[in-house]
Amino acid sequence: MPIVVIGLSHRSSPVTVRERFAFAETVIPDALKKIREKGLADEAVILSTCNRVEIYAATQRNEREVSQALQQFLLDHQNYSEPLNGEIYRLGEPQSLEHLFKVASGLDSMVLGETEILGQLKKAYDLALKHQHTGSRLNKAFQRAFNVAKQIRTDTNIQRGSVSVGSVAVELAEKIFNSLSDRQVMVIGAGETSEKTARALLSRGAHSIIVSNRSHERAVALAAELSGRAVHFDNWADEFPKIDIVISSTAAPHYVLDRAILEPLMKLRKNRSLLLIDIAVPRDIEPEVNFLENVYLYNIDDLQAIADNYLKQRREEIEGCERIIREKVKSLLQLSKSANAPVHDGQLAFE
Amino acid sequence: MPWWTDKFSFAVAVLFYGISMVYSVFLWRKGFRQDNRVNYFMLLAAAIFHTTAMFQRGFSLDRCPVNNLFEATMFVTWTMVVAYLVFGIWSRLRFLGAFASPILFAIGVFALMPSLDVRGAKPEFSGGLVSLHATLILLSYGAFGLSSIAGIMYVTQEHDLKFHKLRAVFSRLPPIERLEKVMNWLLVAGFILLTLGLTLSPFLLKQKFHVYFNSDPKLIWSIVVWVIYLVLLLMHGRFGQGGRRFAWGAIGSFAFVLLTFWGVNLLSPAHQ
Repeated sequence: MPIVVIGLSHRSSPVTVRERFAFAETVIPDALKKIREKGLADEAVILSTCNRVEIYAATQRNEREVSQALQQFLLDHQNYSEPLNGEIYRLGEPQSLEHLFKVASGLDSMVLGETEILGQLKKAYDLALKHQHTGSRLNKAFQRAFNVAKQIRTDTNIQRGSVSVGSVAVELAEKIFNSLSDRQVMVIGAGETSEKTARALLSRGAHSIIVSNRSHERAVALAAELSGRAVHFDNWADEFPKIDIVISSTAAPHYVLDRAILEPLMKLRKNRSLLLIDIAVPRDIEPEVNFLENVYLYNIDDLQAIADNYLKQRREEIEGCERIIREKVKSLLQLSKSANAPVHDGQLAFE
Repeated sequence: MPWWTDKFSFAVAVLFYGISMVYSVFLWRKGFRQDNRVNYFMLLAAAIFHTTAMFQRGFSLDRCPVNNLFEATMFVTWTMVVAYLVFGIWSRLRFLGAFASPILFAIGVFALMPSLDVRGAKPEFSGGLVSLHATLILLSYGAFGLSSIAGIMYVTQEHDLKFHKLRAVFSRLPPIERLEKVMNWLLVAGFILLTLGLTLSPFLLKQKFHVYFNSDPKLIWSIVVWVIYLVLLLMHGRFGQGGRRFAWGAIGSFAFVLLTFWGVNLLSPAHQ
């Protein structure tokens, strides 16, 4: 019973198309039921994330017919009547299994090697399993996909390093400070990237967050979200003696922090190390401050350069990952063949 | 085996330091990106031969081998490598070995110069006080030596962070704050050992020269070294002079000890 995949992802279609095909979690069990009731597949799993919508199906019918029927089902179910131009892909074995393993390992993700997709795939599979829409074929394929993802994570560097600005900032902080658990972070300017960076630092154990913004209401709101404290924009410098990491992202057209301001503040801090993350454009922090002792300044380009290099390293790992995937698909297909082989005298079938 | 002398054992240890140094160049070029135990085991092998050499020399004298410049140098480097092996248990501090091996190799080669190993009559046993005095002081120099190596690692990592070198994040070197802590621990330990060692000096002078103090160049030099390290620790602990300045202080102070130790010994009648 071969496995087919039909769907669309960030590689094949823009978000304006993907969002039209997205399934809400609550409707997935019903959609799976319809697929099986219509005889389109014996087993099925629907994966719907912001970057992909895919139907994995196991069927005894002809692969080509089934994938076309599933495509039509998808279009009808989501009321999509506009002409298609290669947005939907259809894969039969062995490409369908290779695709599943790549998705599980993060090789097909927008951020190469990310791990969030594995959790989403597990959730999609659990949902189908819970409603009894999977059988031995998809169960084996998905279990194998989770194992392959684990092996790739352990044996290769595909997930090594940080590929987002926030996680690079965390990594830098961990290269400077012995531990983040007793470190105070100050967010100047409550933008989206600074919020993400602050959250990343908090998730790695940063002690507390102080938020300062021109709009004090916005600072209070963000501080509440981050379980931190808001201070008025005119008073942020007063908090400096306690601060170890500053994330700045104001919309100010001039420097908010320059050498003349920071130099006396560093004395108050007894010259403890200070990490300054300037993600504002135009920049908030004068580059000259990097020449002060124990001050480490990184702007958005510096962080992006590090993230890009990590991504480059991850790309170099793709070949090795694909080799592992090909081997695992081959062994899974051989296992399926031997399971489907006729039972000879004296041989027991346990399935 | 008559050819298996203490000098031979020490030469094998120095050979391992040399191999480790060459290997460290590769680690450096690779940017210290992956945890590496090879260098640790090479230095462990070196330490085994080094310890064997110390035992062989110690048993031949029936006392701690700290009687001439060869033995003193051997003792200082032994302290450094043993302290490294302890710190190297923590994976992030294991790369200290890559910074230590060139220094251990250089000092080891220097120690093997025949003129340093002057073997006179078998030294008299003086109640162990001389051995204790020398041992404490040489242990302190070992601690200062390893702290200077941590200092070199600190300034390397700090430079990479300051100038946004990719190695700063890609390498598995420890955070600079941890290195500063390691430097501080080693300097404090070294300072306590040096203080204890120097405290015995007046008693030894009384025993040999019937005075509690004289202007022996080594004694004056030791007090200078003690003051240098006291100032370094005070500046760090009391006046917030941490970070790069502290690291350079640890490097510079040990460089001073290293460059003047042998010369001052030769000038000192009390230490001949």
